[in-house]
Amino acid sequence: MAAQLVLSGIGQGSIYALVALGMTILFRVTTIVNFAHGELFMAGAFVIYALLRWGVPYPLAMLGAIVFLFALGNAVERGLMRPLAGAPHISLAMMTVALSYLLRGAVRFVWGGNVRSLPPLFSFAPVEVSGVIIDAEDLVIILSAAALLAVFFVLMRYSQLGKYAQAVTDSARGAALVGINVPAFHCLMWGVAAVVAAVASILVAPETMLYPDMGARVLLRAFAAMTLGGFGSLAGAVVGGLLMGVIEQLAGGYVSTAMIDIASYIVIIAVLLLRPAGLFGRPEVVRV
Amino acid sequence: MRKFLLFAVPMVWLFAAFAAQAAEPGLTKNSIKIGIFGPLSGPASSFGEAELGIAAVYKDLNAHGGIYGRKIDIVMEDTACNPAKGIAAVKKLLSLDKVFMLHGGSCSDVVMALKPGIAKSGVPYMVATAASTSISKPLAANIFQNVPTTEAMARTEVDFAASKPGPKRVALVSQSDEWGKSGHDPAVDELKSKYHVTPVADVTFERGSIDATPQVLQLKAAKPSFIVTVLYPAPFAIFLRDAAKYGLTTPVIGSQAISIEDTAHQLRNPAEMNRVYVFYPMAAPIESKRMAKWRGIFEKYNPGVRLETSSLLGMGGAEALIAALRKAGPEPTRAKVIAALNGLHRFNTGVMANPVGFSPTDHAGAHGGAMIAYVGKKLVVIRHYAEAPK
Repeated sequence: MAAQLVLSGIGQGSIYALVALGMTILFRVTTIVNFAHGELFMAGAFVIYALLRWGVPYPLAMLGAIVFLFALGNAVERGLMRPLAGAPHISLAMMTVALSYLLRGAVRFVWGGNVRSLPPLFSFAPVEVSGVIIDAEDLVIILSAAALLAVFFVLMRYSQLGKYAQAVTDSARGAALVGINVPAFHCLMWGVAAVVAAVASILVAPETMLYPDMGARVLLRAFAAMTLGGFGSLAGAVVGGLLMGVIEQLAGGYVSTAMIDIASYIVIIAVLLLRPAGLFGRPEVVRV
Repeated sequence: MRKFLLFAVPMVWLFAAFAAQAAEPGLTKNSIKIGIFGPLSGPASSFGEAELGIAAVYKDLNAHGGIYGRKIDIVMEDTACNPAKGIAAVKKLLSLDKVFMLHGGSCSDVVMALKPGIAKSGVPYMVATAASTSISKPLAANIFQNVPTTEAMARTEVDFAASKPGPKRVALVSQSDEWGKSGHDPAVDELKSKYHVTPVADVTFERGSIDATPQVLQLKAAKPSFIVTVLYPAPFAIFLRDAAKYGLTTPVIGSQAISIEDTAHQLRNPAEMNRVYVFYPMAAPIESKRMAKWRGIFEKYNPGVRLETSSLLGMGGAEALIAALRKAGPEPTRAKVIAALNGLHRFNTGVMANPVGFSPTDHAGAHGGAMIAYVGKKLVVIRHYAEAPK
């Protein structure tokens, strides 16, 4: 049972990691905690659902979700966040909270509150290896999280994009002075973060059910993962997500199923008390 | 004297008219105002289809002439399945809209939050589909419940599971909220008191969860002969999917919150439905010929809204309330309607599995139910229960 729980936990954790990764990318560049990221994840799933209903083939529906979410991310930055540039962080956070309710309400208005499902991405039956059941979709989610982490790690560390991100994060004004178009860069990163949410929904939605509130729980887990891994750390988001998944499954399997929901809150409290910067985060140092 | 009479008689008439109006708000010569409230938005908005079905029955009644020349004037309010919003909605219906009576509520926690206030108001109130046992027990003189309570549902589920030959190895999967608990506790009690066993496994699975691996693995290790669930539709479907993934092939019973037709659409392999049973409080599957009348009423007044079990579930209460209004006569009062409901015995709503009935000491009006399941591709009633186990 332990091996099965750990494997399932890695699968679940990869979902949290994918969502946390999108939030981390945006946080690194804009220092905004996007409370609507769960709803971007939900919106991606519903875009696929709608396109499939209109007879669009699955691969094109997935592509459509990516394009739509990129455009949505851009539109959010341009229409909602940019007018608040320079506003206190709480205002920016509240705008994302409002956006989350808006997206949920819009989806509920169009599709109602009923539970829907997507067809599976693959039709492989789960295989059993030494008593452990391995599901193809779980494997794809795990590998995708790893691949996305690798891509963003390379981009952030070795590419011009990463240097821009570092410059904008350190000082938006300084970055602007050296010729970086900061608003355009923010706009791009909102789009990229939304695309990561779309990828997460492509991988996860066929595994679970679609309903307007499907992003809320995943968002909470992603927060816990970011807290555990360290806010702003890409590796931290992924490792934190994986640990969260495994902790939940082991707690549910060996302690009580009632512990599954509590585990993430316990993790947040423990990390904030013992290691506020998280596993991979660095404490903020201010030169005085 | 004549002058006095000329002044006094109209004044007395006016006073009487005002007094009558004050005593019975929401009632005019041409209309009866009914306040309908339910989760029309929010996470549980799918349950709000019950309120749409109730409104459709009243609109259909209006189309057929109303009651004693009065049309039903519907005022609809949204609770979003949120107790605070529910209280605000009902306050508005009673204070601003001044309705004659109330009908609605599909979330048990909302109805429980409203219960003290509505009981105090004395306004006749028919609960839509909220099923918590605590709504009708302890009894409030003006609150009537027309769907099987979660206790009745859970005891019937356990009895169905235990009626199968072989050892009584029943496992429970439930949500830990008010509704889940109100089904879980009677199920455990039924197993203990009637069959002298405890559940072989007793696990929780929360709303919003996207994975049921720990639950399924625990159940698999416990080797149950039947799994009784008290889950909402999304967790139920996810649980069934994960059960299939990990090879847990034990028969599963779903609660009355489940639409078996929807669940069949949500599962990847329709063959998995052949081990799924659902407690069903209505007379026949919604797509059956027997339910055509109710289906027609719902679809006529809610074009484009997808029909599901909850769409028709509240209609039985509307039929009972209409019967009580008729019984109350051409000059109804709230007291007369409550008395008429209390005198409604074995009333066949046409919607519910069994005749409904209330008495001054029992306001849980729906009794028994049915177990439905797919046999092949056909949805059939496997067993009918005239009464829930006591």
